[in-house]
Amino acid sequence: MAPILLWLVMVLCLLISVVKYIMGIILKVAFPSTEIKKDYSYQPRVSVLMPCFNEGKTVYETIESISKSKYPSDRFEVIAQDDCSVDDSYEWMLKAQRDFTNIRIRTGKNAVNSGKARTVCNALELSNAEVIISIDSDCIFHEDAITELTACFSEPRVGSVGGRVGVRNPNDSVITAIQAVIYYSAFQLYKVPENWTRSVCCISGCLFAIRRDLLSEIEPAIRARHWFGIPVNQGEDRFLTHQTLLRGYGTYINNDALCWTTVPNNISVLFKQQLRWRRSIVRDFFYTLRTLPQHVWKLHPNTVFTLVLTPLGAIVAFLVVLTMLSSDPLAWAGPLPLVGALGIGAVLTWVIKKYSSREALANPLAFGAYVAWSMVSSLLLTPLALCTMDSADWGTRTKEEPEVPLGNTAH
Amino acid sequence: MATPLINAVAPPPKKKTPDLHALHYKLVINLYRVFAVTILYLVLAGILAYAFVMGFYAINSSWAAPLILSSVDEKSLDFRVKLVTSQQTIEDVKVDAQKMQSGIAEMTKHRAALLELETPLKEAIVREQAHNKANGPQLAALDTQKQADNAKTQQVLAQLKEVESNIHKDLAAGLITKGDAATQLSALNQAQGAYTDSKIAEVLLTDSILQKTTTGTDSLEVLEKQAELRSEAAQLDVAIHIAQKELYEDNRQIDRLRDAIQTAKQSPYYLNAAGGKQLYFAFVPYDNQASAVAGSAIYDCYLNMLVCRKVGTVTQAFPGEEAAIHPIFKTNIRGFLIQMNLDHPESAKSKTVFLDRKPLLF
Repeated sequence: MAPILLWLVMVLCLLISVVKYIMGIILKVAFPSTEIKKDYSYQPRVSVLMPCFNEGKTVYETIESISKSKYPSDRFEVIAQDDCSVDDSYEWMLKAQRDFTNIRIRTGKNAVNSGKARTVCNALELSNAEVIISIDSDCIFHEDAITELTACFSEPRVGSVGGRVGVRNPNDSVITAIQAVIYYSAFQLYKVPENWTRSVCCISGCLFAIRRDLLSEIEPAIRARHWFGIPVNQGEDRFLTHQTLLRGYGTYINNDALCWTTVPNNISVLFKQQLRWRRSIVRDFFYTLRTLPQHVWKLHPNTVFTLVLTPLGAIVAFLVVLTMLSSDPLAWAGPLPLVGALGIGAVLTWVIKKYSSREALANPLAFGAYVAWSMVSSLLLTPLALCTMDSADWGTRTKEEPEVPLGNTAH
Repeated sequence: MATPLINAVAPPPKKKTPDLHALHYKLVINLYRVFAVTILYLVLAGILAYAFVMGFYAINSSWAAPLILSSVDEKSLDFRVKLVTSQQTIEDVKVDAQKMQSGIAEMTKHRAALLELETPLKEAIVREQAHNKANGPQLAALDTQKQADNAKTQQVLAQLKEVESNIHKDLAAGLITKGDAATQLSALNQAQGAYTDSKIAEVLLTDSILQKTTTGTDSLEVLEKQAELRSEAAQLDVAIHIAQKELYEDNRQIDRLRDAIQTAKQSPYYLNAAGGKQLYFAFVPYDNQASAVAGSAIYDCYLNMLVCRKVGTVTQAFPGEEAAIHPIFKTNIRGFLIQMNLDHPESAKSKTVFLDRKPLLF
């Protein structure tokens, strides 16, 4: 009975995903009117918050890309906040501050290492703009990114807007090729039905715009996030999106607001990143379950389904794979999953080449390796995430440090 | 877990609550970490065990998968039904063969009797022909003589008409009495009758001569009988030949069925269905054939491969091919069955046993 139930949940989760992808195609092709009405004349004051930790020279390149933004330079500023990097990140920040004088750049440094979420909050203290854009310090931004994001806020009920994250290094390895396909399909298909109902469940922290008032309202909750006394510093993007929705605002991803990130090109870094994300998903799932009545009353049914079934699918996938391997240890070695992955990979590779040549894949067969990764992901990530909920670090770059009263050293 | 609810964030800390909370949190976190570490080690152990088992069964060449055949096992029952059917067929064919043999004997006897008739028949025909050849001319001469006698008698009879007329005249004239006249007339009639008889004898003689000097219908009937006799003998020859062939085929079929039954009796399913006591079998893949020799030791291990003990020996290997599912990989594999003599019958329920040697030297 239990295995049947597991399979049923698994099938339901997969079905929802497939339906979302198909709906994404239909909406994109046949109903472009479902996209948000952008008003480029709306030009609020913008603060671009850039929390940084051990990024080195990349932080300079990131600020450089922002400095090339077409958004009126007197209408935005960059606030770079260092979280006590042990490398020369802060020096690069200061250099960027000196070099890119066409825009206003402010830098700050936490008194102690505090994690990304609290670093964003600290940076927020330095801002008084109407719209806050939180970015990752290892991304490169399109010159229209800020313009595209702010144009979406002309719709009053939209609280948070995200951009599309593209992969800078799709052809570094098979691992980056897989991620390029997944990133592209997630933004261009999977999230499109969520866009339709203005209820995107997770806006990427790489490029996250939010109304200042809303962020100020949520900030105490961000600072107060903890897990049995251990501060939660990860998954602030998912948390912010979730909170935006629960406060009655809409969320949206504008695929014309582009940024480019360098994705992990080895399995170890990818695993750590995915573990961090999986932990956020699981944490969000528990939160959703704990406040389910609130969700049911306030959110669109699609959103509730996505918030519940996506993490549930991850948990169930672990149990299903476990059951499958114990009954048929070589089930994963059959040709069907590989053929399926190769088919999907071939189609998406063609689409990416046609519509986003910058991310074009040199090896269309690379996506076949997704079968192996999905096994690893299903089998290891979920139990590991469930067993490391007390982790509070930056994921791949530091060790855990105790929470202390936050402070700023502004420049 | 402890993320604050909306509109309920950051409650103002009370003086004593944080200590209690801190204690509570510390307890929960410690318990969680113990639980998490245990789970993670279990997961790690599971992964390592999985990898080890996969690798072990990929390279091991001495495992066999025990299987318990029930006497009501479908295959055994099927086998038994087929055996009974084959035995019944043998009996039926034997009865047919016996019938065939009796028929052949009867036909052979009948044929011999027919062939025995032919010689006397031939002799009779020859004898009759010789007799006719001798009697025919004699009868012809007698016939000529008879014809001459009859011609003379006819002339005498023509004179008798005048005598008869004179008798009537004498009677009318009263020269003779009526009695005399009647006596004389009667004598005349007798002479007339004798002539007629003589003519009849002449015709019969002619007939007889015809039969003896030419091939008549009687001769033809005899020849027909002779031909029928030969035909019947020839038909019997054919029938006997066919029957002998059928008998040969029946005997061959009986031999074949006996061979098949003999082979079937070497099958584990027959042994299982026919034998009264519990027998133990195991499937051996072809890759492990070298270890499956009669007399080889059988080892049963804990956790399918660790800490093994000798539990019996291989009794025999059966020649027929069997298909089975790999007990670990769940793939289709080909191999054969062996019979095991187990000192520890519970080992027949193990997932795998090992032949000839312990898999990991302990």
